[in-house]
Amino acid sequence: MAPEVSSTAALASIREIEREVAMLRMAPGSDVPYQRTSVMTHTAWVPPEWVEAAEDVLAGLAERHPSRTIVLVPEPGAQDGLEGEVEVDVFPAGEGREICTETIRIQLRGNRASAPASVVEPLFLPDLPVFLRWRGVPDFGGAAFESMLGVVDRLIVDSTEWPDLRASYAQLVGVFERVAVSDIAWARTSRWRRQLASLWPGIADVKKIRVTGTAAQAELLAGWLRSRLERPVELEHEEADRLVAVDIDGEQAPFPPGDPPQPADLLSEQLDRFERDRIYEEAVRSAATARPE
Amino acid sequence: MTTASLQDNPLLEGLEVRRAPDPCILVIFGASGDLTKRKLFPALYSLAFRRLLPENFAVVGAARSEETDEDFKERMKEAVQENARDDFRDDVWELLADGMRYVPLDFADEQGEDDLARTLTELDQQRGTRGNRVYYLATPPVVFPTVVQAVGKRRAAEGWTRLIIEKPFGHDLASARELQQVIEKYFDEKEVFRIDHYLGKETVQNMLALRFANGIFEPIWNRQFIDHVQITVAETLGIEARADYYERAGAVRDIFQNHLLQLVAITAMEPPIDFTADSVRNEKVKVLRAMHTPGPKSVVRGQYGRGYIEGEEVPAYREEAGVDPQSMTETYVSAKLYVDNWRWADTPFYIRTGKRLARRETTIAIQFKRAPHPPFEELSAERLRPNVLLVHVQPDEGVSLAIGVKVPGQGMTIRTVHMDFLYGGAFRTGLPEAYERLILDAMLGDATLFTRIDEVEEQWSLVDAIVAAWARDRPAFPNYPAGTWGPTGADELMERDGRSWRRR
Repeated sequence: MAPEVSSTAALASIREIEREVAMLRMAPGSDVPYQRTSVMTHTAWVPPEWVEAAEDVLAGLAERHPSRTIVLVPEPGAQDGLEGEVEVDVFPAGEGREICTETIRIQLRGNRASAPASVVEPLFLPDLPVFLRWRGVPDFGGAAFESMLGVVDRLIVDSTEWPDLRASYAQLVGVFERVAVSDIAWARTSRWRRQLASLWPGIADVKKIRVTGTAAQAELLAGWLRSRLERPVELEHEEADRLVAVDIDGEQAPFPPGDPPQPADLLSEQLDRFERDRIYEEAVRSAATARPE
Repeated sequence: MTTASLQDNPLLEGLEVRRAPDPCILVIFGASGDLTKRKLFPALYSLAFRRLLPENFAVVGAARSEETDEDFKERMKEAVQENARDDFRDDVWELLADGMRYVPLDFADEQGEDDLARTLTELDQQRGTRGNRVYYLATPPVVFPTVVQAVGKRRAAEGWTRLIIEKPFGHDLASARELQQVIEKYFDEKEVFRIDHYLGKETVQNMLALRFANGIFEPIWNRQFIDHVQITVAETLGIEARADYYERAGAVRDIFQNHLLQLVAITAMEPPIDFTADSVRNEKVKVLRAMHTPGPKSVVRGQYGRGYIEGEEVPAYREEAGVDPQSMTETYVSAKLYVDNWRWADTPFYIRTGKRLARRETTIAIQFKRAPHPPFEELSAERLRPNVLLVHVQPDEGVSLAIGVKVPGQGMTIRTVHMDFLYGGAFRTGLPEAYERLILDAMLGDATLFTRIDEVEEQWSLVDAIVAAWARDRPAFPNYPAGTWGPTGADELMERDGRSWRRR
């Protein structure tokens, strides 16, 4: 467990947050700051109901992707204002050296929740990519979402968190030309996609698949097959909390080797990607336009 | 996955297709040796841990000592537990151990060769390894020709065969060519993988990334902007239990001929047109060919006497077990080299390596020319230290850049600070061991990070010329105490040019 130092008082402005970050980076009893090697700014939009799940993932992430993480918790119903806190985690980096990562948590209250870019932009690490993990369904077309899309390089969603998949996918398609998108639900299917690809050429004429997993995984796998094979593929879905089986025209595909990745691994993998994932985009387009079962 | 199948199969598009080696058997000659225990099996375990080995895979250890399969497995299990960088997991080990065999054999022994051939055939049948073989020669170099002949004569009729040869490849140019002649009888150059494990190190490969993936460095990577280059491979260790080998090799054959000259080649090479084996090696060999033989005054050799390492008194080289008390073997060598080409003409490369030096470090320091005219009244140009780009190969893997900045306050005081990039800070996944990368590359048939015969020959030509000059004098050894930075002659080599070795 990395030692951490946190701000003791609630911080009410960006300037206070910046000052606190600089202060906490100083090693105790030293006038030399901990070294910071950053590879990105990781921003997370986390409505209050998602805070617990988000913190679990962040805990597994800090050490793998040294970065500045800014967690935005919107509370539009509260009185206007922002309240921030800063945490610096220190990790050994060999030969007695230590490096630190920073987590800034900001509650955006009242109207502050509708212009989040103006809050986070001053805190971005200069010249490094900015990733935005949006928890839950993005408010497509809403002020907060639009504001953030304008300042980030990559949007990371998990469509498993979306109740109305096809409608949300249809709206997500409109985002593709503006920012690169990753979907953790899609990443969870990668082992299976590799496995299904290994069934080529037998799978080339598939007519129907039956997927036991989450709805998002089922829609994305079917969308992927339709778009790659350029042919209609019927989908039958059986709900399960993770992807456990895929039947191809009534025949069960072999289970892929290896262990399924952990949530922090999945997010970590997406944070290593910078380019657009056109295969995913085509799968989403196909899923969005599929006829209801 | 072949290129053809990638083109034919639309489902593969966008999927990260990991380079997967073909099914194969890895045969390690010298399996009872230290290298197998400390490096090869821990590397194989890490590859198994990450599922990078082929699904159909087997390892056969071959050595003189009598051992059963079970003894061998147990010994390697302990070695992995002791030396692997990953946590020990029974399931991963079982995966590896299931395909492990041991064959005791003397290297010129028909019976042993028959046993090995039978074991390999059985494994092909049991594990579907299709006759594909990687032979790893981790034996003493004197046995290389015998093993090459034995393996060559019994090449499997089907499947591919690859030969990994540990350093040193020969003792001088003549012996390297003799060994090569034996190899050429049975193997094509594409099947031969000569290891210089430095090339498998992430930080050495990062030198290529630093130079060729960053627009800012290449335009200034030349004689116009670079004053000189210093490359250091310093060890605090003595010769351990390797007196027999080291007495014959010395620092010049142990480190200079291979690691140091490869580091020079990577630092000085022109951009390759792509990152394929021949493109990279073509550029490296051009550098080696462009190096002219340093005169006697440009080479300094040394041998350590008694001294202190980490506060503990250590014996002189001549007092080490197995070393001739009158030994003239060098444990230190430094040299000033020139790469005579358009990019580097007149830019010295100072290189040094030694045992029992003050600190363990491998670094490549690119020292840039000073700012020509600092416009600050209180500051003479001499006080402004030059910029240095320092590539730390080990330890503290990373890169740092020394720059002058203003000290806050009145006046204009300039101080040198380091901007550091630490690998461990930015990528916390753990750097793979060099042997992991190299074994996997050999299985994949990718020779980019292995030395080609023409490189080896150029390296030996240079070393032979240096050693020939040594025959004419007899320096007063020992000439540096253990725990220091080498003989005073090495400092004088730099001082004559108005420069000094880097100290941290």
